[in-house]
Amino acid sequence: MSHSKLASIFNKDEKRVDWHDKALWFVRHKRDLSVHQVKGWEELRNLGHGIKAHMLSNLDSYLIEFEENAIKNGVEVHWAANGEEHNQIVHKILKENNAKKVVKSKSMLTEECHLNPFLEADGIEVIDTDLGERIVQLAKEPPSHIVLPAIHKNKHEVDELFQEHLGTKPCDGDPQYLTREARKHLREKFIEADAAITGVNFAIAETGGFVVCTNEGNADMGAHLAPVHIACMGVEKIIPKQEHLGVFLRLLARSATGQPITTYSSHFNKPRKGAKMHIVIVDNGRSEQLSRPDFRASLHCIRCGACMNTCPIYRRSGGHSYDATIPGPIGSILSPGKDLTKHSSLPFASTLCGSCSDVCPVKIDIHSQLYKWRQIITKETPQPFIKKKSMEIMGKIFAKPAQFEKVGKIARWSLRNLPKSMINSKPNAWGKARDLPTGPKQSFDEWYNERENNKKKD
Amino acid sequence: MGSRDNILARIKANKPDAIGLPQIDDTLFDDEYDLIKEFTKKVEVVGGNVLEAQSNQDILKQITTLIPNTVVNFSTLSDSLDFNTINLEAIKNPQELEDLDILILESDLGVAENGAVWVTDKNLPIRVLPFITKHLVFVISKENIVPYMHQAYNKLSESSSGFGVFISGPSKTADIEQSLVIGAHGALSLTIFLKN
Ligand code: SF4
Repeated sequence: MSHSKLASIFNKDEKRVDWHDKALWFVRHKRDLSVHQVKGWEELRNLGHGIKAHMLSNLDSYLIEFEENAIKNGVEVHWAANGEEHNQIVHKILKENNAKKVVKSKSMLTEECHLNPFLEADGIEVIDTDLGERIVQLAKEPPSHIVLPAIHKNKHEVDELFQEHLGTKPCDGDPQYLTREARKHLREKFIEADAAITGVNFAIAETGGFVVCTNEGNADMGAHLAPVHIACMGVEKIIPKQEHLGVFLRLLARSATGQPITTYSSHFNKPRKGAKMHIVIVDNGRSEQLSRPDFRASLHCIRCGACMNTCPIYRRSGGHSYDATIPGPIGSILSPGKDLTKHSSLPFASTLCGSCSDVCPVKIDIHSQLYKWRQIITKETPQPFIKKKSMEIMGKIFAKPAQFEKVGKIARWSLRNLPKSMINSKPNAWGKARDLPTGPKQSFDEWYNERENNKKKD
Repeated sequence: MGSRDNILARIKANKPDAIGLPQIDDTLFDDEYDLIKEFTKKVEVVGGNVLEAQSNQDILKQITTLIPNTVVNFSTLSDSLDFNTINLEAIKNPQELEDLDILILESDLGVAENGAVWVTDKNLPIRVLPFITKHLVFVISKENIVPYMHQAYNKLSESSSGFGVFISGPSKTADIEQSLVIGAHGALSLTIFLKN
């Protein structure tokens, strides 16, 4: 289904849209307050961009360097060309270790590969341990935001979910009580787990180690208790040196939630004594995106979510309307690279206001990439009849000034005189949710000429 | 091996021409903080607590007044045998630490710009300790506070450890309708003692 159709489902509940919009804007506002306190923020963004651009231009060697160092550290490294292979590798490691209960910390990559249903099909219990992720897992929904997975749910819905699944008491949505109950519930899972799966925020070629950032401490509770830790990362998570973490850790949390840094920034280098550590390095379309000069900068993304929080379309259409693991502005660049036909409506889900590019900590030119996808999509995928025809006609009219003037006259007259039912009719998509203005009597040309004439008279 | 070589070959073929690696110039960011003031402010912003202490005995005394009647306590401070109620050497599985009430750890690096404190395997006998404990306490010398993450990593570059973590504040979540709740899976409170 197209983005606009899915968005219109979300839009049915006007109150929810309003609240969703405000909640995300609040996070964007916190980001602003936080970054304005950092001297040299723009230079920091330039560094983030520059380091990532350099990394992509040398990615194969950095991956090899990373692998070598990780192996030296006693970590097992695996490579997966796509989601399917990733899932099989993870499954095999779990089988070898006889692991039946798995605690997972937030990882958009495993979401992208649909790991949970794959493991569950073989009777392995997978518990998402980030509170937001656990909430959507209980609701049997995908996350709707990469940093705030349950942002589309209100506290009363969480209250009901917990009553049903965790046996909590009705509490009128008290976040304190609900969080405490989740803590108890998930502690049990951490203690019993046979294996822990985490994502990777940054992998360091120089050391062979990787960094995982959380506020809740769930990645650490999983990884340090379970006998097996599997970390799953996309190839683009590599940074050359440890000192570059100084740049990215300063950028990440401030852009995501306005915090100066996440509560826990954990640096995993070697497995602890008696435990095993595995890293799965996944391509799944990334090397292909690297081949597209116009879109390769999308691989700089550090998944802070700032572009979603600021996007006027995302805030009013909800993450699920993007029908993809990574929603919002950056998702609208990544998704068409994977399946142009399925996601052809996403690059149009933008006002091209540029706010996403302004907040992006690694300076991805998000809005211009969306514009470029639009051009490709209009050429390569069939467009709706009305859109195509009207564009064609418009093109012809614009080409002839005399005709344009005539049509303009008719349009202005029509806007003033025709009944609303005719103007906001079905083919006019613009009239769906808004009233068109009353047509002015004069055209701009007429107004301008009159003004010039008056000037001469003065 | 198949996928590894394929992925690497594809990346090699698809990557852009070499782009230089930018240098980090710390001076661009220097705001000339009063380090202790900024550190204290940031720890409070992220939900923690900063106190001053003269000696290890002083720290133990203050913490037992602050958080009284705890059952399971552990500290890595040198003269804290009276305080410790568990013997880590006897612990076989990290799961046994589930009931830990207070953990006191020493750190030799703190960051003013975000109130983060660094601990590694070196001062962390069992990795899960600072996450599984209910109340987390750090002890750090004032001279070990650096202004930004850049200086922090300059200090870390020589030492390599199996595991290290920056911790900034107690664990928290805002996943239920964006209301901030302190104490998710990790520590419910964080106290930092500054020593001269
Ligand atoms: S594109 Fe930029 S702003 Fe959006 S999530 Fe990625 S890093 Fe953040």
